[in-house]
Amino acid sequence: MIPPDPPGTIADGPSRHLDLIAEMMAAFARSQDVETTLRLALIRAVERLEAEAGSLFLLEPDGALRCRAAVGPVDVTGLRLAPGTGIVWRTIETNSPQRVADTGRDPDFAPRVDDATGFVTRSILCAPLAAGPERLGAIELFNKQGGAPFSDADLGLLQALAASAALAMINARLLAGLAEQEAMQRDLDLAAEIQRAMLPPPQGVDSPVHGLNRAARRVSGDFYEIVPLSDGRIAFAIGDVAGKGMKAALLMARTASLFRCLVKREDGPGRVLAAIEAELHETRLAGTFVTMIAGLLDPARGRVVLANAGHEPPVLVHQGRFVEITEGVPPLGIDPRLFDDGVPETVVDLDGGALYLFTDGLTEARGLVGGVMLGADGVLGLLAAFAAMDAAERLETVLHALGGAVSLEDDVTLMVVEDRLRPPVPAVQRLFPARPEALATIRAAVAETLAGLGASAEVAADCVLAVDEACQNIIRHAYKGGEGDIVLHVAREESDIVIRLMDFAPPVDPAKLVSRPLDEVRPGGLGTHLMRSVMDTVGFRPPPPGIGNLLEMVKRNGVP
Amino acid sequence: MNITSTLCNELAVVALEGDVDLRCSPALRKELLERTFERRDIVVDLSGVGYIDSSGIAGLVEAYQGARDNGTRFLLAAPSEPVLRVLRLARLDRVFTIVDSVEPLAAASPGEPLS
Repeated sequence: MIPPDPPGTIADGPSRHLDLIAEMMAAFARSQDVETTLRLALIRAVERLEAEAGSLFLLEPDGALRCRAAVGPVDVTGLRLAPGTGIVWRTIETNSPQRVADTGRDPDFAPRVDDATGFVTRSILCAPLAAGPERLGAIELFNKQGGAPFSDADLGLLQALAASAALAMINARLLAGLAEQEAMQRDLDLAAEIQRAMLPPPQGVDSPVHGLNRAARRVSGDFYEIVPLSDGRIAFAIGDVAGKGMKAALLMARTASLFRCLVKREDGPGRVLAAIEAELHETRLAGTFVTMIAGLLDPARGRVVLANAGHEPPVLVHQGRFVEITEGVPPLGIDPRLFDDGVPETVVDLDGGALYLFTDGLTEARGLVGGVMLGADGVLGLLAAFAAMDAAERLETVLHALGGAVSLEDDVTLMVVEDRLRPPVPAVQRLFPARPEALATIRAAVAETLAGLGASAEVAADCVLAVDEACQNIIRHAYKGGEGDIVLHVAREESDIVIRLMDFAPPVDPAKLVSRPLDEVRPGGLGTHLMRSVMDTVGFRPPPPGIGNLLEMVKRNGVP
Repeated sequence: MNITSTLCNELAVVALEGDVDLRCSPALRKELLERTFERRDIVVDLSGVGYIDSSGIAGLVEAYQGARDNGTRFLLAAPSEPVLRVLRLARLDRVFTIVDSVEPLAAASPGEPLS
């Protein structure tokens, strides 16, 4: 005959209480409210293990323990235990369940709570609420009814309940975190969408003012504005909000809309900036400020009036020279007293030149472009090199050139204000993707330009062939089939036709431009020979901004 | 560029239409190599081509070499003046056999399409 198991043996283990474990696990899985379910778990544990009382302690952010639920003659809910002694602390510190048969003989037992409540603790069963290394709290039971000590089996059951409770708590926390993340994500998406919608639409090719923005993150602190006024003048602005995220996005939106509103009311960009400062001061956002330039172009006179509040100095590019326009006041949104004397204005006569405004993302864009370091003047060098290109295309080309190899960490905004009174440049400069599909368009552009210059059909056909072959080389050998751009430049210099092709690929070896001997009939290697055959000179030149490759081909006396 | 291949009197007629550049020269090369692989005599009708570049020429040269190795014929028919100029510049006008027209070769055959 098999004797009945004495209390505290294996057969008396948690298996006897599988129903309770299953019930609690199901309750936790269902639960929307972990605290309520934890309380239920405590009540069930007290009932099933026939304890006189029980408490549930959770760790607070400051490291203390707080009683979140209590069952028994004394309600200790809300009781705070500072880190230190007591069986509950030993449970948490060792992350292992504790069974104390006689509290009087355990030196760690802290009688302080008993003294305060009048409850007499004889024995304790305590299991940690933990998931892996993460400690959340503990469930503690006091005094088995009838005076017997708690058994190992009791400890096993409490451990099982505590483990499923801890898992439920971790799950709930992860879910709450996810929900919060999703809400933040939605906010950012919305902010980004609002920002994109706020940027001006692309301007027509005849507009003397153009802007381009590329956001490095989804929510950008950069903005620009182009507002044609009823008298024919064009107001414009560029700005950069310090700080990131929603706060910066809000300030950016507010500043941009203030500009659009105030520019029609205030006379001159200095007054516009002062008025924006006054408005921003009303609703300051701590820790943020705005650097901004406001300007007004009179296209009929080629004259710009500028006011600069802490922004990167704009640069006038005039016949290949760069002039920084440095006058200005501190940024907006810091202290209105800085603006007591108003905002000074600078008058700039474009005189056929172009004024560039940009955010620091562009001037700080110094990195490898086509394997070559882009210097401080690299961006301006690029802009000057593409002076014959349509303005909007020129901005695009520069961002493409930078984007090819540089990871721009900051938002980039670039604006140009041009003098439409300037004489037309006798040249064509255009940007094309370096892809075989673009070759037909490139050939058509060359043919059209040369016809415009008065070149004969034969001359045009030769130039078309040379450009096509040169572009093939760029596609196949410079970019090696990868993404890239080609800038085509066709100009007349006296009676010569000068064709330049620029790419932003790593420098190629000029020796590659040597024709192969034609005695041997074999496919390939013909392109360079064809270029040299139809053009008078073919050679690499130093590219103006020091990046990429510049191939120059000349057809002498190609135009009358 | 469009490529149309037909079989006339056991002769593969590969007719090209449009500009032959880097965009479509891989397709031309593939077509010509397939015909060469079938060991057919080939004539490339260039009457519809106004422009050809070195990548297109390279495809013709490769097919020419394949035909030479096969002992089959490879002809170019009716190149326009711009195409002829590129062939001359590459000094290939004397390498290829160039005929004025596809007609006599393909005469009296209705022609059946080749894949």
